[in-house]
Amino acid sequence: MRWFILIVMLLGVMVLAGVGHRGQKFTSRPIEIFPDMDRQFKLKTQKPSEFFADGSGSRKPVAGTVPIGFAVAGDGGPAEFTFSHGPEYASTGMIGEYFGDGFPTEYPVDEALIERGRERFKINCSMCHGLSGNGVGIVSKYWTLPPTANLLDSRVQAFPDGQIFWTITHGKGLMGPYNGTIAVRDRWAIVSYVRALQKTAQP
Amino acid sequence: MANLFPRWTNELPLKAVVCVAALGGIVSGLVAYTATPKYTRVGYMPEQPIPFDHSLHAQQLGMDCRYCHSFVEQSSHSNLPADQVCWNCHGPGKVKPDSPKLQALREAMDESSEDYTGRPVAWVQIHETPDYAYFNHSAHVNRGVSCVECHGQVNEMKVVYHAKPLSMSFCLDCHRNSEKVLRPLDQITNLDWKAEDVDKDAFYAYLADKTGKGVEDLKKADSHKTFDRLLIGGHLKEAWNVHPPQDCTACHR
Ligand code: HEC
Ligand code: HEC
Ligand code: HEC
Ligand code: HEC
Ligand code: HEC
Ligand code: HEC
Repeated sequence: MRWFILIVMLLGVMVLAGVGHRGQKFTSRPIEIFPDMDRQFKLKTQKPSEFFADGSGSRKPVAGTVPIGFAVAGDGGPAEFTFSHGPEYASTGMIGEYFGDGFPTEYPVDEALIERGRERFKINCSMCHGLSGNGVGIVSKYWTLPPTANLLDSRVQAFPDGQIFWTITHGKGLMGPYNGTIAVRDRWAIVSYVRALQKTAQP
Repeated sequence: MANLFPRWTNELPLKAVVCVAALGGIVSGLVAYTATPKYTRVGYMPEQPIPFDHSLHAQQLGMDCRYCHSFVEQSSHSNLPADQVCWNCHGPGKVKPDSPKLQALREAMDESSEDYTGRPVAWVQIHETPDYAYFNHSAHVNRGVSCVECHGQVNEMKVVYHAKPLSMSFCLDCHRNSEKVLRPLDQITNLDWKAEDVDKDAFYAYLADKTGKGVEDLKKADSHKTFDRLLIGGHLKEAWNVHPPQDCTACHR
């Protein structure tokens, strides 16, 4: 009996030392105790796939097709959430070769649009351009050449609406493009909010 | 006849039972402790191709989660940022463009560099529900459940790790008591949000607008209660008519 207790205690110490406690940091993949059907052979968002030759699970749309929920030019009204690269003013900010002014009929300015713009401006623009748009957000301190644009000065005030939309879509100089993360409606919402900031700023 | 069994064998059956019971108890205790997601998953902190620091970007620079995890409100899947998003700040001429830590990013994005491969940065996924369970970010984030409930204080992590078990019982615990966690929708990505931060008057005005009751009536009904998370969550749950599903087919479809 004494031996038994001794051996159990010894083993116990060894196991405890190996097991550690809950919540310890580790880097190997977690064990799946019953792995049945945990990881199925199917396409998953943002994951690679062995099925396709290029190894990428994300597929580009087949030429001439439009994914569900995305707008087609001229099919009667835009989708709520679209990154459409159609030719119309609402998704380019251009009329012919020039920047257009005014808001497209698809996205009329109302309180909800400006409010949405306030939220999206804070998320996407404020750390560089500052919460008030004055060009001294926290990140602007880390890079100085060229200075982050002051959205309130008369130069940007004079931009047509379409040019601000175009800047968000394609970037400008050192500012990168945001056409991959900000939906078309949200870009116009941000434009409307930038306009509101400019109106309320002290000259 | 001589005594076939010596005296000590009298206690043998009892001893055997005690030993087996003790061993059984120890083994089942060990299994109960280690064979649950609380042990197997919590603390998982894989090495990433770039040592990306949330506490710097999200806390110090004050970036909103949605700048990078941009479709968490629209999609069931919370995306990782495309490399372009990092490139907007870490590209040539910007923030630390030559940092050795950003080597993998330059391989993906910098066409002028000789290491250019064009292959996206291969982040290692940390939180991963089994494929037989259905999970939807937008259904939670748009109903007042913050990232912090399921991912912990990511804004304070230098390296992201698995902070909550995300087991079935974890999901259900919240689905049964969701009033404990609900918060105003504009505070979802503010992981440090506290009930004390809420402007009482604005909150009751919002409730009155949602429920059609009078502001004064609502305030009077609460006059003897402390204004804490449970109260806020309870009100929001009622106002938004939140009913998290508990039937198997909601998550196993
Ligand atoms: C990563 C930092 C950063 C972010 C985020 C950012 N910008 Fe910029 N932006 C800049 C910099 C830097 C410039 C100056 C570029 C130059 O002159 O080369 C600039 C310039 C501009 C200009 C002036 C362009 C011109 O033609 O002179 C506008 C308008 C603008 N930004 C709007 C926005 C809006 C709207 C957002 C939010 C969707 C935004 N920016 C987000 C860094 C940023
Ligand atoms: C809005 C601008 C911005 C974005 C977007 C951004 N970063 Fe940063 N990052 C910074 C700033 C500012 C620093 C701090 C630089 C310093 O300490 O001087 C930094 C520092 C870093 C560092 C530490 C570099 C070093 O050598 O110390 C790494 C690594 C890094 N970022 C990775 C990333 C990755 C990966 C992404 C994309 C998911 C990203 N960053 C997106 C602004 C940004
Ligand atoms: C500058 C871009 C950026 C910002 C801002 C950001 N993240 Fe992340 N996040 C990343 C990147 C890149 C990864 C993948 C690398 C890693 O895990 O460290 C990641 C990973 C994560 C993961 C783990 C994902 C997995 O694989 O399971 C969680 C959870 C997360 N982020 C939550 C948040 C939350 C919550 C916030 C807001 C407080 C936030 N992130 C802000 C870029 C960002
Ligand atoms: C109700 C719980 C819950 C909430 C709230 C939640 N998440 Fe998640 N998150 C999960 C689960 C579960 C997974 C694993 C999903 C999977 O396997 O696809 C996950 C995965 C992720 C991933 C990794 C995706 C990948 O493919 O690498 C990121 C990034 C992430 N969440 C960010 C966020 C952010 C940012 C928020 C807040 C805006 C948030 N989550 C809110 C439960 C949650
Ligand atoms: C912190 C609280 C919380 C946690 C943790 C949580 N949920 Fe939920 N869940 C909710 C709330 C709140 C709703 C919204 C109910 C409503 O809209 O009425 C919801 C809704 C859902 C729905 C219904 C969505 C739909 O499309 O109708 C599913 C499915 C779901 N959750 C699955 C999960 C899974 C799987 C997990 C565990 C990984 C989980 N939840 C963890 C709070 C939570
Ligand atoms: C709120 C969402 C939710 C509901 C409701 C739910 N489950 Fe689950 N279930 C999960 C998740 C998430 C997992 C994966 C847990 C893990 O990976 O640790 C799971 C795992 C399981 C497993 C596998 C356990 C294993 O380790 O192999 C079984 C069996 C199961 N559920 C049965 C049920 C049954 C039966 C019901 C109805 C009474 C039910 N579930 C309801 C979310 C749910």
